[in-house]
Amino acid sequence: MTAEQNPDLAAEAAENRKAKVRGMIFQAGPLIALVLLMAYLSFASENFLSFDNLSNVARQSAFVAILAVGQTYVILTGGIDLSVAAISALAASITAVLLTQPLVMFGMDFGFVPVPLAVLIGLCVGIVAGALNGWLISRFQIPDFIATLGTMTAFRGAALLVTDGLPVPSFNAGRQLPDWLIWLGGGQIFGVPVSALIALICALAGWYVLRYTTLGRAIYAVGGNRAAAHSSGISIARTKIMTYAISGLLAAIAGIILVGRLNSANALMAEGEELRSIASVVIGGTNLFGGEGGVWGSIIGAAIIGVLGNGLNLLDVSPFWQRIAQGVVIVVVVIFDQWRRRSMTKV
Amino acid sequence: MEEHEILLKLDRIEKRFPGVLALKSISLDVRAGEVQVLLGENGAGKSTLMKILAGEHEPTGGTIEVAGRRVTGLTPTLATELGIGLVHQELSLVPALSVTENIFLGRMPTGALGRIEWKKAHADAGHALEALGVAIDPTAEVRTLEVAEQQLIEITRALERGPRILLLDEPTSALSDSERSRLFDVIRLLKQRGHGIIYISHHLSEIPMIADRVTVLRDGVVVATLPAAEADEDTVISLMVGRQLAEQFPKATVTLGAPALAAENLAAGHALKDLSFTLHRGEILGVYGLMGAGQAEIAGALFGLQPARAGTISVDGLPVHFRNSADAIAAGLGLLSRDRRQSLVPMQPIGPNVSLSWLAGKSLLSPLDLPREREESTRYIADLRIRPASTTHNLFFYSGGNQQKVILARWMSSGASILIFDEPTRGIDVGAKAEVFAVMSRLVAEGASILMISSELNELIGMADRVLVMRGGRVSAELPRAEITQENLLRYAS
Repeated sequence: MTAEQNPDLAAEAAENRKAKVRGMIFQAGPLIALVLLMAYLSFASENFLSFDNLSNVARQSAFVAILAVGQTYVILTGGIDLSVAAISALAASITAVLLTQPLVMFGMDFGFVPVPLAVLIGLCVGIVAGALNGWLISRFQIPDFIATLGTMTAFRGAALLVTDGLPVPSFNAGRQLPDWLIWLGGGQIFGVPVSALIALICALAGWYVLRYTTLGRAIYAVGGNRAAAHSSGISIARTKIMTYAISGLLAAIAGIILVGRLNSANALMAEGEELRSIASVVIGGTNLFGGEGGVWGSIIGAAIIGVLGNGLNLLDVSPFWQRIAQGVVIVVVVIFDQWRRRSMTKV
Repeated sequence: MEEHEILLKLDRIEKRFPGVLALKSISLDVRAGEVQVLLGENGAGKSTLMKILAGEHEPTGGTIEVAGRRVTGLTPTLATELGIGLVHQELSLVPALSVTENIFLGRMPTGALGRIEWKKAHADAGHALEALGVAIDPTAEVRTLEVAEQQLIEITRALERGPRILLLDEPTSALSDSERSRLFDVIRLLKQRGHGIIYISHHLSEIPMIADRVTVLRDGVVVATLPAAEADEDTVISLMVGRQLAEQFPKATVTLGAPALAAENLAAGHALKDLSFTLHRGEILGVYGLMGAGQAEIAGALFGLQPARAGTISVDGLPVHFRNSADAIAAGLGLLSRDRRQSLVPMQPIGPNVSLSWLAGKSLLSPLDLPREREESTRYIADLRIRPASTTHNLFFYSGGNQQKVILARWMSSGASILIFDEPTRGIDVGAKAEVFAVMSRLVAEGASILMISSELNELIGMADRVLVMRGGRVSAELPRAEITQENLLRYAS
């Protein structure tokens, strides 16, 4: 085919640009909500807009933000990962135990594991745990919700086994957590929290993979129309396993950073955070049924949840009311999102 | 005709959606005891009009009169009360419920204390089905039934509400010929009883069978309403597309080459029992069969989507075994599936939909070729005249014909040379059909081979070099081009 000029193309280019602008405004919805929320809080509380407070919010939101990146992947495929927080706790517990106690296996004492290896094992645990989710779901054709509900409980159990149900490091044995880990969780570079930077890197990497790799496309295709992906030669099983493995890896990263922030690991840490990660993704505009959305929305979603909690604290709202407020925000945002979707799909 | 009362009168109906004027000005009337066939290309506004009449959309202008009374604020409930019944194009049944429950959805007969009278319900449903001449067990779960049977249940459900005006939106798209003639018998019966019927169809051949009057829509305007006797196919097509179609079936003469795809004693699923064929380079091999004759299983079995129970497949003379569709794509196959919704990723624009087949068999970690995707989608938009010519709109917003072109582009860009076209023109309009046929001719001229599975007699006659007729899961006849006629196809199929 030659470079035949299409007379309609020019006319429709203008229409395209309009659609693009409209799409951008719609996509910017969560961002606008965040800006409005922050604007309100900076008037309502004089402490809100201080650098210290904002960096504190960023530090506290980093954990959920990293989970939300992995959760975005899973939700884009049309799945849901209830086990992320449990994987965080498991990976964090294993890493913390390896860092603070000599490795004893089969009655033999192997001494202290080198620090990089301890971290690497923690990350691998996350990947394997996630891949297990994906494998269960695709191999046995069980709903994502059920599979990860089961593994959530099992991973917590495994974490309890590893830690013996005690906080790590414990008072009576082993050594303290290394300083760099504390720095990862609570330190800062030029005033910016390290953990928030790591969250940002995770989001960047997550965005890149979704946008520029075969896996990214496969994720959108599987979530957007499973049958189409299947008949186009995309392996749904491989896509699912890879997606959950990535979610697991990010959960492990988040877990290890959280250990640094809390200077302690325990098997029941981060309980309930999987729901906050799901809420972040949904607030960020990703379709819960898959196929639509992206990483940045989820980061903004995590920020909204973080800012809201912080703001309500500053305004001296009781924690009980805070929970109600968070719940209301989630529902209101989803109502808005549904309304937006309907208005866009009307033809 | 004039003496019959006017049941429904539309005057300058307008419907504006954000950014789109779907209906500009629609004026028409439906009389008691007539079947009015509504024709128009996809996007002409037929379905929007139906939805307005069923109370699902509110018009932004114009007036609706039902039995002489002006109606405003039409809702689905009000439409039902006024005696307007709509049979949707897409099935709207609840698969996990029984036939009876679907027919009486929300109106199950109840006795004291709201207890459902199952016996009465099943009996009533049985009578209703019988009236249509349909033998379906009212207690069966809907998901166990064939699509055609589901379609008939849908119609039964609409009739059960006693509509005076019945709107049928492409009711025969999933029906076989015998089922269709049964439906037409029912329609004639309703006509005699004084019902007014609006019947939307893509099958121009149905006009002489059923129509009293024909109304043609184009771009949201009624271009003409004519008596059926004057609505021959040429007239209607030129009214619909606003131009004379140069040729509906641009069949190219191509010298056949070496065998490209062959199957030997292939069996798959429930219905396909024994299929052998050889498809040559440059050939369009048609496959025809009535519903359930096994032709629906062929594509899946050849493409590695469904395991074959028996038989062998070879490509270019070499035996192959496809474990999945990625293997089939690697061997140069492409599939246009019979249900377009199975092929599209609706919430993505053209680019990702075209390049989807390139991902087959690739490592998940490999990078995308975005420049090529951009370049090829722009090229195919121009080449196949895809409208709207946009690389940013999601495919969801495209008409059926344009969606089909995107799927065509997918396989053309993947370099597939053995194409399985399963009902390639289902639910697309006349203009787009001609364009799909033109692409088919071009592809075979360039050395591709096409297996064309179709239930449209005309398009097989127009396009196929040979036709295999299926009956009971086996090939009952192989017709060379000279012998492909309506009579032969139907004789060997039934």
